[in-house]
Amino acid sequence: MTDTPQGALDELATHARRGFPQLLAARDRTERDLDDLRRRLRDGPCDPGSSVVMMGSWGRRERTNGSDDDYLVLVDGERPGEGAPPVEPQVPRLETLLGRGEAKPGTQGIFGQQVFVGPMVRHIGLEEDGNANLTQRMLLLLESVPVVGREAYRRSLEQVVDGYLAGEAKDYRPPRFLLNDLIRYWRTICVDFAGKARADDQKWGMRNAKLRLNRKLLFAGGLIPVLHCHLHLRDEQRAFLLDALQAPPTDRLAHAFLRHDAIDEGVRALGAYDRWLGMLDDPESRAHLTGLTREAAADDAVFRDVRRLAQEFERGLIALLFETGLSPLAREFVLF
Amino acid sequence: MVSAATRDARTGVPFTAHHPLGTSTGHLVELRGQWDLLVRRALDVSTLAVEIAALSEPEFVTLCDWLGDAGRGLPFRFVSVHAPTKQLAMPEDELVGRLAALPAAIDAVVVHPDVLQDPARFRPLGRLVVLENMDFRKGDGRTAAELEPYFDALPDAGFCLDVPHAGSIDPTMGVAHDLLDAFGDRLRHVHLSSVDGDCHHVPLTPGDEEAFGPVLSRCRDVPWILEADLPRR
Repeated sequence: MTDTPQGALDELATHARRGFPQLLAARDRTERDLDDLRRRLRDGPCDPGSSVVMMGSWGRRERTNGSDDDYLVLVDGERPGEGAPPVEPQVPRLETLLGRGEAKPGTQGIFGQQVFVGPMVRHIGLEEDGNANLTQRMLLLLESVPVVGREAYRRSLEQVVDGYLAGEAKDYRPPRFLLNDLIRYWRTICVDFAGKARADDQKWGMRNAKLRLNRKLLFAGGLIPVLHCHLHLRDEQRAFLLDALQAPPTDRLAHAFLRHDAIDEGVRALGAYDRWLGMLDDPESRAHLTGLTREAAADDAVFRDVRRLAQEFERGLIALLFETGLSPLAREFVLF
Repeated sequence: MVSAATRDARTGVPFTAHHPLGTSTGHLVELRGQWDLLVRRALDVSTLAVEIAALSEPEFVTLCDWLGDAGRGLPFRFVSVHAPTKQLAMPEDELVGRLAALPAAIDAVVVHPDVLQDPARFRPLGRLVVLENMDFRKGDGRTAAELEPYFDALPDAGFCLDVPHAGSIDPTMGVAHDLLDAFGDRLRHVHLSSVDGDCHHVPLTPGDEEAFGPVLSRCRDVPWILEADLPRR
């Protein structure tokens, strides 16, 4: 078992009777679409301090029918002061290639814009770490992939990791600062879901399903490498995290199931997630869930399937965290 | 003190610490048909998982009525219903229709393959239906080879591993491992107890705990449903 999670989903799939057809197809599709995007954007000029970074299903390598084009233009350094000339996007044709029609980025002011790395790293916690800053920082760490400016992207990622580790990391300990922020982010998503549902019942079914599955994958996929830092000296943790976070979250989870001798459980957990991805890729199921209210969901057959898949996925994650060698770490660090 | 036999070989965790662990109401024979009381007793074991067992068709009919009123209010996070295996009189299509109409809170319906007349009739239940492996007394559904045609007929069905049933066929537990090798990716829950010489469920014996350990350590993510009282030690 190597220390890098890259390729672990393929390895776990060899233990699964039906494999993970939806996950692997979505991964192929994402890689093809990334190649296509990179080719289309290759010729244009790009500021060496900027990168175009895809997030969401792109970052998880899970593109299906109906996936959004969630992206950020990351710019190194600080936001220009008031009165200073605005920084030009520097990436031509971006808006003509991304976010067209139904694929438009999420509507809460998180995606589809220019973001400066300086404030993202400087404001971890406290008043100035608003929802957008926290979300952009976490998604950069947990589910991002560059299409333009790979070097600039790598530097941004390093700065964010350094922002958590500098002066905080300890030998053979999960980095608490990062761990706490990750848990805060997950709980924030959960609380915001409930708040949003109270204010607006629209899309409840799809939002709930994604919370149960995609967002949980995202959280667990970050939690595992952070806990695995306990295997490393302080000086090794940065490289370890950077490598792990470059792998898709499904690779990180598959790697953990393999590493902790929980292959049967991993096959079932990611098998359930695989079936969910199949539902997401089906326009009919997707439309049905998008139109489902909370009240109607209680007796809805499609939602019952989603709930069942989500439970299977969650139980696999709980077994991984609490019934394998990860259990002492989960008990010691995850709650308090 | 917990004996070595009660510990999972890989993690050192006692079986009773498994999450989620629940009980079947099937072994509470003195309360048969009194669903409120049965569920109350099940809650004493766990508020997280339960199997509500209607082993005869007349019981099942009363359970359907009861669930129609109470189904949504059940607090458990995992609820399975054991479909009837005795005194079967209604047409199989009607049984499937009644199972399909169970409240959405029901996560799984356990069926015995050997009582199915036409397994394909259960296909509309999709992932709700869960096939259980049978004990040595039954003529079918005991091994991976015998279960294969049922899963072929029900491609979305889940699998419930009855550990002592597998042990009754092969005390070395090779059959149990074969079943997990073949259908492990469908595993939805586990039935756990010991069985006596007539294959009646009895509390888990120390010897069986030892023997079942490696099998159970492949099932750490699914509910374990006790089909007898917890062992008194």
